[in-house]
Amino acid sequence: MNKMTSTTFVEANKKSILYRIGNTPLIELKSFSSDKIKIFAKLEWYNPFGSVKDRASFWMVKNAEDRKLLKKDKSIIIEPTSGNTGIALTGIASHLGYKVEIVIPEKVSEETKNILRKLGATLHETSDDLCPRVGAGTDQSIALAYAISKPRPDIYYMPNQYENDSNFLSHYQSTGPEIWKQTQGKVTHFFTGCGTGGTITGIGTYLKEKDNNVKVIAIQAQQNHLLQGLRNFEESSKPELFLRREKVVDDWYTATNEKSFKMVKMIQEKENILVGPSSGAVMASMMEYIKNIDEGVFVGIFADDGRKFKSLYLQQNLFTEQEYTRNLKNSILLPPLAY
Amino acid sequence: MSSGSNDNSKPDLKTIDVRGLYCPEPVFRTKIEIEKMIKGETLRIVSDDPDSEEDISRWVNRNGHELVSLNKNNADLEFTIKKAK
Repeated sequence: MNKMTSTTFVEANKKSILYRIGNTPLIELKSFSSDKIKIFAKLEWYNPFGSVKDRASFWMVKNAEDRKLLKKDKSIIIEPTSGNTGIALTGIASHLGYKVEIVIPEKVSEETKNILRKLGATLHETSDDLCPRVGAGTDQSIALAYAISKPRPDIYYMPNQYENDSNFLSHYQSTGPEIWKQTQGKVTHFFTGCGTGGTITGIGTYLKEKDNNVKVIAIQAQQNHLLQGLRNFEESSKPELFLRREKVVDDWYTATNEKSFKMVKMIQEKENILVGPSSGAVMASMMEYIKNIDEGVFVGIFADDGRKFKSLYLQQNLFTEQEYTRNLKNSILLPPLAY
Repeated sequence: MSSGSNDNSKPDLKTIDVRGLYCPEPVFRTKIEIEKMIKGETLRIVSDDPDSEEDISRWVNRNGHELVSLNKNNADLEFTIKKAK
């Protein structure tokens, strides 16, 4: 594999939207910090397509280009996803001249599907009854994506974020070094949600190489959850990508819907930032962990903001429509998206 | 794969040929075609994936449609499905 460091971005056309991937801000959440424990959030929605998944998507596409697996105007990139990876992959691949087909569970919100269509993706919507040999949700989408792509390797390329080491490398080579630099090497505890395992293993591995005392805390969702991007590892097995470097995890936290949404609301009230549900889960785990230690520098990955979650937040009675609209208007730290 | 083409032997029957495709794609193509049809119309599906015998039959029953017939011709499975709702 060709190593892609931040130099790749510098070498890229600076007018390109892809130049904006990475180098996201790390902010202190002062209303949650204390004298001895500092709480920082890495705001991954500053990536152009609005989430942490821009990094893995860019790395996976560039790696496929380097391996000459893609042909401009001919190749179709197909990926099973329920959200942010689809948005990032479609935005990035379309920008580079590739068609994209996203295989997505039909129950995913219309907001997300509309963004994907707007970015130019063809959607294949799967229901839970397509294949009796696999589980529900994204597992059905994975099965269909394999079925479509495997017999047609001349046309289709499936990056497969659940197995692709470029996902891990994107964080090992970009997000990890950014956090180390932004905290001037003072980070003591690192928190992130787990879906593919790319973020936690990439950043965790890098941070532990710099300082083996850094604690890495993995967050999974409760069963039957509403926390997009996270998985529960009793409902679904750990992805191959995660299993390769699982030993980097020191501790686990299981986030409930209730506590995560409560934290979304608290972050809005205390910091005036409208975050996504998984950021609430990360915040809940940091607040739980804070009880166990005397001092430290906590860093949590805030994977996306709350702009895609209006219907979810209203449905969960987190905000009224008026409150949501007001929060969206007044929220700080929400840069324009590329779509 | 041809989709929505008329078969010469049964000119009135809408047919999809999903031979060469693996499950769950035959079920997925069936689902898409059925969704485009109106109640009472009939669809013929030709598949050579052995798993589709169970998967398509099961999907048809679960979704309340009618499996009018399932014929086997060497490796080919020929389903005739009536959209019932």
